Amino acid sequence: MTAFPALLLPLPVAIPLVLCAVILATAHILPGRMPDILAIGAAVSVAILSAVIARHAAQGPIVYWFGGWEPKDGVYLGIGFSVDEASGWIAAFIGVLYALTFVFAWGFFDRTHGHFHILMLLFLAAMVGFSFTRDMFNLFVWFEVMSVAAFALTAYHLAESSLAGAINFTVVNSLAGFLMLGGIGLIYAQAGTLDFEGIAAAVAHGGRDPVVAGAFCLVAAALMIKGAIVPFQFWLADAHAVAPSPVSVIFSGSMVSLGLFGLAKVSSVVFAGSDQVQQALPILLIGLGSFTALLGGWMALLQRHLKRMLAFSTISHAGIMLAGIGALTAGGTGGMLVYVVGHGLVKGALFMIAGILLATQASIDEIALRGLGRGIWPAGIAMALAGLLLCGLPLGALDQGTRLVQGALAQQGHGIALAATAIGAALTGAAVLRAAGRIFLGLGPDPGDEAGAPSEDEREKANRPLWLMLAPCCALLALDVAIPAEVIAQALPRAAAAFMHRPDAGALAEGPAWLPWASVAAGLAGAGYGLFRNRLPKVVVRPVSATQSAPTRALEILHSGLIGDYAAWLAVGVAGIAAVLAMV
Amino acid sequence: MSVLPYAVAAWLFGVGLYGIATSRNFIHLVGCLGVCQSATYVLLLGLGYRWGSIAPIFYDHPPGTPAVDPVMQALVLTDIVVGATLTALLLVLTVQAHKRGGSLDPEKLRPMRAGGKSGRSQGSSRVDEPARGSR
Repeated sequence: MTAFPALLLPLPVAIPLVLCAVILATAHILPGRMPDILAIGAAVSVAILSAVIARHAAQGPIVYWFGGWEPKDGVYLGIGFSVDEASGWIAAFIGVLYALTFVFAWGFFDRTHGHFHILMLLFLAAMVGFSFTRDMFNLFVWFEVMSVAAFALTAYHLAESSLAGAINFTVVNSLAGFLMLGGIGLIYAQAGTLDFEGIAAAVAHGGRDPVVAGAFCLVAAALMIKGAIVPFQFWLADAHAVAPSPVSVIFSGSMVSLGLFGLAKVSSVVFAGSDQVQQALPILLIGLGSFTALLGGWMALLQRHLKRMLAFSTISHAGIMLAGIGALTAGGTGGMLVYVVGHGLVKGALFMIAGILLATQASIDEIALRGLGRGIWPAGIAMALAGLLLCGLPLGALDQGTRLVQGALAQQGHGIALAATAIGAALTGAAVLRAAGRIFLGLGPDPGDEAGAPSEDEREKANRPLWLMLAPCCALLALDVAIPAEVIAQALPRAAAAFMHRPDAGALAEGPAWLPWASVAAGLAGAGYGLFRNRLPKVVVRPVSATQSAPTRALEILHSGLIGDYAAWLAVGVAGIAAVLAMV
Repeated sequence: MSVLPYAVAAWLFGVGLYGIATSRNFIHLVGCLGVCQSATYVLLLGLGYRWGSIAPIFYDHPPGTPAVDPVMQALVLTDIVVGATLTALLLVLTVQAHKRGGSLDPEKLRPMRAGGKSGRSQGSSRVDEPARGSR
């Protein structure tokens, strides 16, 4: 390996961090739009550098040791970055997402003194560091930096609801950080090193060991909390719904899926040698993933607050990604990696549309917005397309990821999980399509008195031109559709194998071709049912409402917004993971 | 290493989590979060400890003297920094929430509830709890 690309590795992390410091130091003298320009430049350079690194990494992972502390005789003392092809492309995707988000956020904040950009750049650096690192403790540090930047960004508006959401988010994710640190301590005590490869070697030698299982339990729980997997998902809906729209784009587009990306890396690299963990993984991940996909989809369908609906949709898709990891094959993990990109692009676009509605119509409530979107119909087309893509319209990267995940699940005979991925996607797509139909076409019953949104009045800064907000949104959708499928299909087996540290297994299986169409049909049917329920014959409506009302009420009570309940569910979740690990 | 540090860490984490689950005051809740974090300090220091060895400073000891694990101590230091950041941030959020909501009770400061049914009229999304103060 030549030295040239290895020296590039720290740059995608260093550039945003240095710019953070520069903007912070000079914020009071910088002319108005300078922080925007600098931030866009930083994000673009991160994307380009990561793409260059990823291209070089196609022949094999590139490793960089900070301070030249290379391992000697199998003893790992230094801290390193190690980038395989997949990690590099994920970082490049994150850079693109940030660049477009900065464009979307152009002029979003009046008097920020660059604080928004500083926090966002810190967030960006942490995400790239998280995907590049090969050191357990370094992983934790980036995890925490990511969290702290996210906490502050959630509360940016300092409104009542955003503060409550931010506190819930902070407490739950801090607990995640503590769990992760405990797990890292345990694994270090067993392996005597923090390097991924060093730990993997020690774990493979160790055999069945309760300390290793305990460490995995804690680390996996922490990453699943970040990834919003049931029963850790509660914080997400509170935080994503109240964060400023550009921040929600980043949260749903990359932060949540990055938690699962970390879980995939840790379980397939660090804990590959532990039979106990590897046997527990399919049960845990596929079980929790399927359940999450269904529950998130159902909750999304119940929401009338648009951003909250999208937040639940993210939970549902996180479940599908988790099921993909749970297949433990190159196909499942590779599919999940493509899914991360596709989902990030589509969901980012949807949150931008929510932001556009907040800015131009000063509301985020689906019922109150009925018919009000006609004046900004281009956003409606984008929303309908994004809704169809979420359902599984066979087009673009999201669909390719879905088919690969479904293929991996079908290959191993996980029929229920396969159905759950299709149904979850259909439910969230139905929710988005229903909202699009109601807002942009004025479909559905006239709400009358109910039109007033019961939630707090919200609005975001309105004086930005529509095209400026719509352009990045359309760019995200265009990227999702235009990413050439053949190139991915060619590179993915190799990249997924390198990501999982396994030999290349050749072409990857794809799921049945009719399944995405079935999801789309179900999604359209669900949206139609939501909009035209009162025109349907009673015979159809009554059994549906009779069977769904009780569980729906239970679900709504569960999502209480009380931090105490969330902490209790967190304990239940950790205990559940521990129980599965103990039983295999 | 004996079982005691593990047990103490687990107990501290459990107690802290119980405190968070039952807390009715955000300041108290931040304190409970600190208790949870203390569990990680105890665990890490316990894991790195070696009986009968020195602190990992070799200024006045010959190199090679048995010392406790410095990596664990570095982890704990980082952890303390993280803890300070989190506590400060949470207390700021709490102060701001108190300014706007006039309360420190999590029950009274819920974020938007399911179905967007709340925000101001807390608790009204429960079917058995009709909106109070509507008259």
